[in-house]
This record gives sequence, C-alpha cells and structure tokens, in this order.
Amino acid sequence: MSVRVMLITGRTAKQGMTMEIGKTAEEYRRAVAVVELSPSDAEKLGVSDGDTVSVKTDVGSVVVWCKVSKALDEGVAFMPYGPWANAVISSHTRGVGMPQFKSVEVEVSPAPGMDVPTLEDLVQMLRG
Amino acid sequence: MPVYEDVVCPFCGCLCDDIVVRVEDGRIVEVKNGCGISSSKFRNHHRNRILKPMVRKGGKLVEATLEEAVDELARMLVEADWPLIYGLSSTECDAISKAIELGELVGAVVDNTASVCHGPTILALQAVGESKATLGEMKNRADLVVFWGCNPTASFLRHMARYSVLPKGMFIQGRKDRFVIVVDVRRTGTARLADMFVKVKPGRDFELVQALRAVLRGYDLSVEEVAGVPMDTVREMAEKMKACKFGVVFFGVGVTMSPGRHMNVEALARLVRDLNSHTKFVMMPMRGHFNVAGANTVSTWQTGYPYAVDFSRGYPRYGPGEFWAVDLLARREVDAALIVASDPAAHFPVEAARHLARIPLAVMDCKVNMTAMMADVVIPVAASGIECEGTAYRMDGVPIRLKKIVDPPEGVLPDREVLEMVIRRVREVM
Repeated sequence: MSVRVMLITGRTAKQGMTMEIGKTAEEYRRAVAVVELSPSDAEKLGVSDGDTVSVKTDVGSVVVWCKVSKALDEGVAFMPYGPWANAVISSHTRGVGMPQFKSVEVEVSPAPGMDVPTLEDLVQMLRG
Repeated sequence: MPVYEDVVCPFCGCLCDDIVVRVEDGRIVEVKNGCGISSSKFRNHHRNRILKPMVRKGGKLVEATLEEAVDELARMLVEADWPLIYGLSSTECDAISKAIELGELVGAVVDNTASVCHGPTILALQAVGESKATLGEMKNRADLVVFWGCNPTASFLRHMARYSVLPKGMFIQGRKDRFVIVVDVRRTGTARLADMFVKVKPGRDFELVQALRAVLRGYDLSVEEVAGVPMDTVREMAEKMKACKFGVVFFGVGVTMSPGRHMNVEALARLVRDLNSHTKFVMMPMRGHFNVAGANTVSTWQTGYPYAVDFSRGYPRYGPGEFWAVDLLARREVDAALIVASDPAAHFPVEAARHLARIPLAVMDCKVNMTAMMADVVIPVAASGIECEGTAYRMDGVPIRLKKIVDPPEGVLPDREVLEMVIRRVREVM
C-alpha cells in the first residue's frame, strides 16, 4: 500500500526552536523527522499520528513519523527542512543553483516497526 | 544581574531589536519580547556547543589546539585545487569580509546560503529590477499586504506583529486598516489570519502571476480557473491590488524553490512593476538567516557579485549555473570545503551532501551539527550577536549593530578572528 503525493518542504516554528537547542537534540529529531499527510491520504495508508512511514523518490528513501494535517489537500504532503527531508530531494538545480525543495513527487508507504534514523545514522549514510 | 535592553535577535532577517535579556552569573536566564525561536536561541546558546578545536586523526576527531586546527585548515585550503568556502549568513559582516579575503587568497569559490534560499530572487531582480521600501515605510503606509509562498507564523514569528499586519503606523491604524492576502499551496497559520486566502496548486505560481498581470491589463481570460484558482478570485485579487494606496508583496521560498524558480520571481517583479501604473507597490523577499542579506551585501562590495563568486583565476567571476555550492558538490568539482556558520550536510540534498563526506572538510561553528560530525577540522567560534558584536543586515537592507551579551566559552574566538588567523597562516605557507 502506498500513495503518490506532492511533497512540499518548509520551515516550522518547532523546527526553528529545536534547532536552536541543537541538531543532536532528540527534540530536533522529533520535530523534523516528520511527514505531514492529509487526512484522506493517511486514511488510505491506514496510518495516524506517530506511526512510521517511508518516504521515497528516485534519489533515496527515509523513514519518518507521520502527522495528519487538516491544512493539506489530498495529494499534498509536507516535511520540515532538514536532513530527513533532504534524503529524498534531488541535487539537480536545472542550472540555477537551487534544488527543487518543493513540489516533489514522492511515494509514501506505511513502515511499521521501522526505526526513524538518528542524525548519527544519517551521517553514516552520507559517509557510505 | 545585568539586564540588556534593545538587544538584536540574531535568528531571522527581521532582526528584532527590542529584545530584553537578563544575565545571571554569565548565563542568560530570561528573554523578554522575543518570539519562541528567539527565546530558544538566547536561552540555549550554551547547549550542544563545540568547545574545543578538533582534527581528525586515524578516522576519529581528536582535540587539538587552536593553532594546530588553524594549521590543518590552512594546509587543506592551500593544497586544494578548487576549494569551496560556504555558509556565512549566520555570522556578522566582518567575518563575511574575512572569508571572502581568504577565498581570494586560495582561489576558492565563495558562496553563501542565498544560493539555496533567495538565490533565484537575486537572479530575477538583477534582470527586472526591484520596487522596494524599508520595513518601517511598509509599517507606516501599507494598506494591502500580500504574503506569497511564505509563512511568517512559522518562520518569522514577529514579522506580522512588528512590521506588516498588526502595528500602528503613521498613516495606518493597525490591523483594521490593512487587507491581507495569502497565496500558498496549503492553509498555513498565516493563511488562517488573512482576509483572503488564495490556494494555488503546487508549482503553478507562475501561471497565477501571469493571469493577474493579464487581468490588470484588461484581458478577460476565457478559462474557469488558473493554477487551481477560480478566475473570479483572480479578478477580485487584481482589483484589491489595484485599488490600494500602498501595497506590498512579501514573498518566500515557496516561490523560489518551486518549479520555475527565478522565473516565478521575475513574473512577480513584473506584476509589481505593472501595479505601479495604478498605485504604489513594492516587494520584499523574506530573508531567512539573520545576516543572509549582509552576506550578499558584503560579497557585492568586495567582489561585485552577491554570491557564488569564483576566485580560481585570481579575479572574481560570477557564473550562474556554475559556481553555486549545490552544483559544485553534486558535480564533484570542488576538492575541499570550509563551512562557516552553516550546516549543508543537513540542508543540502543528499547527493550534494555526500560529496562533503568525500573531500577534506573544515567547519567553523558554535554548535555540533551534521557537517561538523563529518568534518576533518572543527573550530569552535563565538555566537554572533550573543557572545560577540558585529553588524548584520535586516531583510530590507538596513544595517543593525549586534550586541555582545555574554562571554564565549574560554578560548573560543569570534569567526572574524579565527579567519584572520587562517589568512595569516595561509600567507605563511603559500
């Protein structure tokens, strides 16, 4: 079971506040390793707040916590800026320096029992 | 128990300058007037700090003296064929100036975080021009405020209260005298506070702007909707914009990071230009990092260009599409990197971030972050605007002096002093 949605990445107040505690703080991971889904997309997947889901593109995939948001239309998802979201964002900038951090087509599927990576896990992933 | 008044918050481009900070035993214990993020920044500045210089030896970061770390960093930059110096938007202007001097010395590319923020805005405004004003002028005069692709309730928490929506101005009596329009793909906190919310389909901003321009010019488009927005709404929005006395479009990375990028901003700048045939209209990018506007300004003073400046030929070159950090890393072209006051490993897309792990990497920062965890040289620095003074540029280009409130940890210097040490060392070994 999966849904294809348009991912928007962006700022949240919690992301800003926890970033100032520190990127290695658990509060930061809890605030940023999250994907917000519309109620209807969450229902299709059978997931609710706090469940783990996998977000995937051709670039990569990442496991994050789900949060259901009434602010989103069906087919639109949101992730706070940060290394979890960037695990699925392409580095291609179409020659203008700016990656496409918004309007990215992603596949979201339930990931029961899977761990949300820590910052250390993501560092290891980058180091190979 | 010193109490510091009129402290400038070094978090976002609002640079709120009315913060009151109480210090006890060299520690910040109370913050008044600041938003939640500001308060978190001041109160948590001492947490998760890098306290000692470190150099990677045998695969592990080990403690080093500042001189050893500076030596290693200087060697790294001198030995590289094409190093990258990146970040700079969360430090003060003197440090930015020194980083550019260092870049020229070692033939580096010097880029700042504008390249993944309002870089497309810079490109667009270089092409079209910009009708602008200070935040003070907007507060005093703007009776119509558009937030397009930005959400100040999440990113610029006091913007609406201090500058754009709620405050009384010379000719504006507060919220009741302002009509607020929000254009976004989702119903954000800002959208909920608006008089008119225009929900655009993701990635379709360009079409909506062009439809507004067409309507303003008197064309009646024979379609039901544009970019998911009913034509009646487009017409109503155009009428509101035309009828105001002083309008402003605040726009964010919802415009610059979406498909179309600089083309979206170009269209928006042209819309604002068109509106000036009817009334007074200005625009302003919502600049995120507290001194990203300063990074662009200092870079322009010293090199002629606001960001993405290459010194590999001994003189500054600005090549759109060539010298941006993400492209250089994703194409694996740079062979060493110095990151100052930024965390690209966390905030760049994965392929670009992965190259940082492949090349010699140095970080100057206050706090432990993902890039520092991957680095070969890590140098702790003082927090600008909390532990050292300096100058920063507000999002409207107004320079504001940052204050020093508390001492940095023992032996920890401001960015500018560390960069001066690196410059001296590079000159010695070159």
